[in-house]
Amino acid sequence: MLILSLLWVVLGLLIGALANAAKLRPAAWGRSGWLRMLCLGALVALLGGWLGTWVLGALFATATALWIAVLGVALLPRLIMWGIRFLHARQATRQLKKP
Amino acid sequence: MERYEPSLPQEINQGSQQAARPHRSWKLGQRAAQGTLVLLLCAGGFLSLFPLGRAFTRSALLLPALLTASEPPPLAAAGDAIRFTRLTLFPNTSRTVDLDIYEPATPPPPIPGGREVIIDVPGAGDQRSLGQLVNLSQSLAREGIIDVNVGTPELFDYRVSAQEGQAVVQAFELMERWPGVNPRHIGIITFSVGSLLAYDAAADPRIRDKVAFVGTLGGYADVTTLLRTMGTRSQDINGQTQRWEPIATTPYVLYRSVGYLFSPADQKLLQKAFPFSIGFPPPLPAAQVARLSPAGAAYYHLLEGDQAGNVNRNLAALSPSLKALFAQLSPLSVISQIRAPIHLLHERSDPAVPYSQDVEMAAALARLHHPYDLAAYTIFEHVVVNLKSSLNQTLSDGSKLLGVLTSIMLVGS
Repeated sequence: MLILSLLWVVLGLLIGALANAAKLRPAAWGRSGWLRMLCLGALVALLGGWLGTWVLGALFATATALWIAVLGVALLPRLIMWGIRFLHARQATRQLKKP
Repeated sequence: MERYEPSLPQEINQGSQQAARPHRSWKLGQRAAQGTLVLLLCAGGFLSLFPLGRAFTRSALLLPALLTASEPPPLAAAGDAIRFTRLTLFPNTSRTVDLDIYEPATPPPPIPGGREVIIDVPGAGDQRSLGQLVNLSQSLAREGIIDVNVGTPELFDYRVSAQEGQAVVQAFELMERWPGVNPRHIGIITFSVGSLLAYDAAADPRIRDKVAFVGTLGGYADVTTLLRTMGTRSQDINGQTQRWEPIATTPYVLYRSVGYLFSPADQKLLQKAFPFSIGFPPPLPAAQVARLSPAGAAYYHLLEGDQAGNVNRNLAALSPSLKALFAQLSPLSVISQIRAPIHLLHERSDPAVPYSQDVEMAAALARLHHPYDLAAYTIFEHVVVNLKSSLNQTLSDGSKLLGVLTSIMLVGS
């Protein structure tokens, strides 16, 4: 499983790089955003691989890691940014309501 | 809205061609990356989420294992650990069944649940330690499929009999109760003369509605037409007559399977004429042929192929009991009772069992409107993969084999 896990991490890094090239990373991530995207791809692919192993078996884990990583790099940055904006907005509303 | 273009040059001089060129290439690269990601998403999703995709993944990993007769590294890395069990059912009785069970050592994953089982009937002789068979069994087990090699003392002794189908039924019923198995996902594959056992089992009322598929490689259909092909040393395929030269094992099995019906004197001479050997021994001297009974002499000439013009007369001269046994030993007699789809695979110039046998089987299945497919291959040598096949042959036959494997794997995916 160690070899497979390493494979999924490498796959995730490649997908992160592709996501960078596809301009899927938010501008707000700044200069180090490309690195964050690579790390996100690797992490999501690793999690996807383990999830695939558990649900479908090791034989299909790499394919699972693949599509979960793509979905991850496409959707998670948006979700993260949306979450941050939501928190900021709530914080600002609270501050406005303070007497 | 969030902006997702941090890497793009933020301002481009519209009037400058030099600036427009990099912009265009940036856009092209971006689109290519997006397209690749969509492709990877679809491919990954198809290969893991859809049963057909999982079956394709399995067959695509199994195919190199079959064609190279070794375990490819991706299968070794991604496959399950294997557990091997050798079982003997009804030991020391006339119903003894030897089972070699190759299974994954891990419990089945939640999706698709219970495992698929392939009951595998190798041909005549004890093939249990044959490298390519062991490799096939281990590769299937690594893919999460339980592979059971069935053998019987008679089959190990190069004899086939209709009763041997019971061994496959016993194996099937055992695997229905085996831990982690989906009882609706059990199929039978068979090689060479083992096809009789597979067809008989698949037609057995106890299991015929449960058998998921039957696959045969180098199987036969009818003993009488096989003897006709032996006698004339030619096979008829789609109206075309082609020369056919058998290997010595074919008359050896054909004699051993029915030999007990001949007199002891005939048995002695026929045994001498058709021994277990690599090549054909010299024909019996005329004086010894003259000592054979009429039925014995007719059978000798059919197997020896030295009276091509008298094949019909020699077939007619066989005893009624022998003809009745031929009907029992012919899978054609039971195919109307089989429910499972049948995959027929055959080497195009098979010297052990002529290709015309599966053409005949296919024609009979077509008449019955039974689901089947027939494919002729050149990469096999009877039932083993010829590792010296050319790249062209391997690619051509590999794609056909991939389709059959996917169909077989779909059952348990």
